[in-house]
Amino acid sequence: MDYKRDPGVTVPMQLIINMPELQENPFKERIVQSFSEDGEGNLSFNDFVDMFSVLSETAPRELKAIYAFKIYDFNSDNFICKSDLEQTLNKLTKEDLTEEEVMLVCEKVIDEADMDADGKLGFTDFENMISKAPDFLSTFHIRI
Amino acid sequence: MTLKRWSLTESSAVQQRSRQEVDMAFLAPSSLRQLDPGYDEEKQKRKTNPKSCKLVCLGKRKKERVKAIQKIPKTMKEKRELRDHVLTEKTKARNRDAQINCCAQCFYNTALSFRQLKNGLSECFQFFHLWQKTLKVIGSQFGTSVCSYFVFLTWLLMFNIFSFLVNFSFITVPQLLEAKANNLSFTGLEFFTGAGYFTETVLYYGFYANGTISENKSSSPYNMQLAYIFTIGVYFVLCFLSLLYSMAKSFRRNFINPSMYSGNAAKLLCVWDFSVTSEKAVKLKQRNLSTQMKETLSEVNTEVLKLSVGQRIAKLSVHLAAWLVSLGAAVASCAGIYFFSTANLKLFLKDDQTELESEAVTLVLPVVVGLLNHMVPFFYSFLGFFEKFTYPKHQIYTSIGRNIILKISIIGILCYYWLNIVAASEVQCWETLVGQDIYRLIIAEFICCLLGSFFGEFARRIIGTKCCKQLGVPEFDIARNVLDLIYAQTLAWIGIFFSPLIPAIQILSFFIIFYVKKVSLMMNCQPPRKAWRAAQMNTLFIFFLFFPSFTGVLSVIAVIVWRMKPSETCGPFRGLETIFAAISGWIAILTTYSSSLWIVWIYHNLLESVHFFFILSVIVLIITYLYWQIIDGRKIMVKLLQEQIVNEGKDKMFLLKKLRALQATGLPDPGEQRERHSSVHQMPRQQMHSSLPNYIERSPRTMERDSYAEPSGLPETNGFTPRSSAVPRRTSFSPQSEMTSFSQAIPGNQHPGRTTGASEALALALRARQEAEWETDEEDFRS
Repeated sequence: MDYKRDPGVTVPMQLIINMPELQENPFKERIVQSFSEDGEGNLSFNDFVDMFSVLSETAPRELKAIYAFKIYDFNSDNFICKSDLEQTLNKLTKEDLTEEEVMLVCEKVIDEADMDADGKLGFTDFENMISKAPDFLSTFHIRI
Repeated sequence: MTLKRWSLTESSAVQQRSRQEVDMAFLAPSSLRQLDPGYDEEKQKRKTNPKSCKLVCLGKRKKERVKAIQKIPKTMKEKRELRDHVLTEKTKARNRDAQINCCAQCFYNTALSFRQLKNGLSECFQFFHLWQKTLKVIGSQFGTSVCSYFVFLTWLLMFNIFSFLVNFSFITVPQLLEAKANNLSFTGLEFFTGAGYFTETVLYYGFYANGTISENKSSSPYNMQLAYIFTIGVYFVLCFLSLLYSMAKSFRRNFINPSMYSGNAAKLLCVWDFSVTSEKAVKLKQRNLSTQMKETLSEVNTEVLKLSVGQRIAKLSVHLAAWLVSLGAAVASCAGIYFFSTANLKLFLKDDQTELESEAVTLVLPVVVGLLNHMVPFFYSFLGFFEKFTYPKHQIYTSIGRNIILKISIIGILCYYWLNIVAASEVQCWETLVGQDIYRLIIAEFICCLLGSFFGEFARRIIGTKCCKQLGVPEFDIARNVLDLIYAQTLAWIGIFFSPLIPAIQILSFFIIFYVKKVSLMMNCQPPRKAWRAAQMNTLFIFFLFFPSFTGVLSVIAVIVWRMKPSETCGPFRGLETIFAAISGWIAILTTYSSSLWIVWIYHNLLESVHFFFILSVIVLIITYLYWQIIDGRKIMVKLLQEQIVNEGKDKMFLLKKLRALQATGLPDPGEQRERHSSVHQMPRQQMHSSLPNYIERSPRTMERDSYAEPSGLPETNGFTPRSSAVPRRTSFSPQSEMTSFSQAIPGNQHPGRTTGASEALALALRARQEAEWETDEEDFRS
């Protein structure tokens, strides 16, 4: 299995999410899926390098924003809708909050960040929100 | 039902959409294209011939090109192809001009090889990246905020390593070649007092010769005075530039207008720290997050209490009192240190003591300063219990402000004491004495730091877990530790002038502190519970390192070099009126050499003249003012654009509501109207078919608004027949007959100007109805 000569070789998702850097991350499946060519989570070598280069310290902000958006977009419809936010919240809090609380939080987030009033967050809304939170660059970072 | 079945297959197809398509979506915000059959061909074209991307990249300098390519969200393979493509284009373009000037060609070749060398070297230096693994382990358990303290420590260490290398090679090594014999005896106490045996070593200013040093008669002499001044001067200039650059970079990346900070959305989407990888830490963080969410929700449910005027005044007076008390404590400590140190000096200068006694006396002041430096911040945090802040960030800023004022005033009073009392006293070699004082202060600060770690973390953990279970395990106090580092570094910077090898002591102390803090952290602390805005705090700390710390050091050194009279009997500047006289003396010598008259010219007209600095300051002020105005203009622009976006959204909502209201009140069905029209006139119907698409196609605003409201990725409404133009999609509405006839409308059929007034109104109503139906279909689909 020579990944340099045969670029079609892919590593299945199960192996990658068992890496110590990703194992405990609640978003590990989404991270791997966002960088895979087929959307299933199987990474070729280039995809793997891509993933860690975007998650490194020196990746440009725009690139990080694009991939963070992809990661949080669970249903891959290019919008972070309410169901995406609910899933994010559940993963962040390990489903500790009640249904009602989850809904409240998601509504608040959409109210605050949705600028064009379409009920969900587009990429521009997300980018605008990130520009107000400069910590994002330092927290969206996996050290290897 | 057909809608639902189709939507299921469509959604699964959407899930497995390949990465490139989604990437394309980001490059093309209008998500119309994805459901456009012509889109696939376009995409293929784009893949094989990325001309648009190339146009972005060509014509720029290499660094900007590389950065532009890095920003493109494509796969690594495509980025490599793009880069190679651009490179071949560039080399082709250059080869075409190669015959014109081969001089430029070889210049280009040398630049290329130099760049490759630089890349190779930077890759080499990656191996020496200190403590990469340790930082990773710390970050994995405690997150990026605690890690930022250790990163700051590593960064400060770099300053000291550079300073030590420079001082050692240019000042110490030449002096060591001509070292005087050391007749003093060595006792163990020197490591703490810095005096005794160490007084007559290269450690201190007093040891350095004042003339020139030459290895043998034939080699050129090495002027110790100039070497001393220039080495230290160049080091400080480089430090200044490096600090300025880091500060500017940090500001640009991280500083935002505090009023713009959006709390809740960022709390959900930007809060997760991806570098936390240990299971326990992740579970803890998840628990903390859910607690925070619950707290936020409960705050939302209760109204924000409006305080009455009386309550506000009471709160303000409490804050004022706390500030007065803390400033009073700082002033009291400074006064205490001043009087104590003057008394200490008198005691030291008295002759009737043994060597040991006088050295022991000198140890008291550093211990007192160190204790004050660490105890008063605890007092400040105790004060914090009485003050109630509305926002936790105000509390952090207040505590940092008070601590910085305390530390800088301590250093200030010490500098005043050294420059005014010690220098004017009858001490033989006041610079060496000051150097020894600084040495002792650094050692005392180091020991107090270790003790603080022991008591503040270890003992606190024991108390928190065994005796007083409520307190719990302590958190790592990042602010206090970083301010301690800044204080120590300020002392070291001042000390460089009086003791060129002090950076070595500082390097050792930082090394040991790193490992002690790391062990203490792992054993005794828990990950931080509250959100610590690492980016802003980092910027703030770098700013504090620059001002007042580094600028204070620069002003002290400036006073010493320009105003103070060096001691008569020791040091490289003995006998001179001021230290700067060494440089003016050198310039005077240079005037006799005709080959170096340009240096003399620079000195007289640029460095000594007031006009030059005046003009320079005016230019800098003008540029600053211009940039300030540009920033203001941009802020206004941003606000306007945000308002515009919000207004667009409101417009849309308003129109939709109006349409729904019109629909509900039961307008004559526009579809029936159309049928009536069509049944009567055969020809006009054809024209109307074609004119209707034209009308819709022609108005750009509707296109814009439509693309805005377009639900991307969701399957389009019933009976959608994919066409390359946008128009037929718009025309799907429920009366089935209209839909089919409409969808057969020939796109792009140009029959302009055949519309009548009635058909225009008809077109408007039809379109409005379509939009309304979209929305309802969307809602249906979502539910």
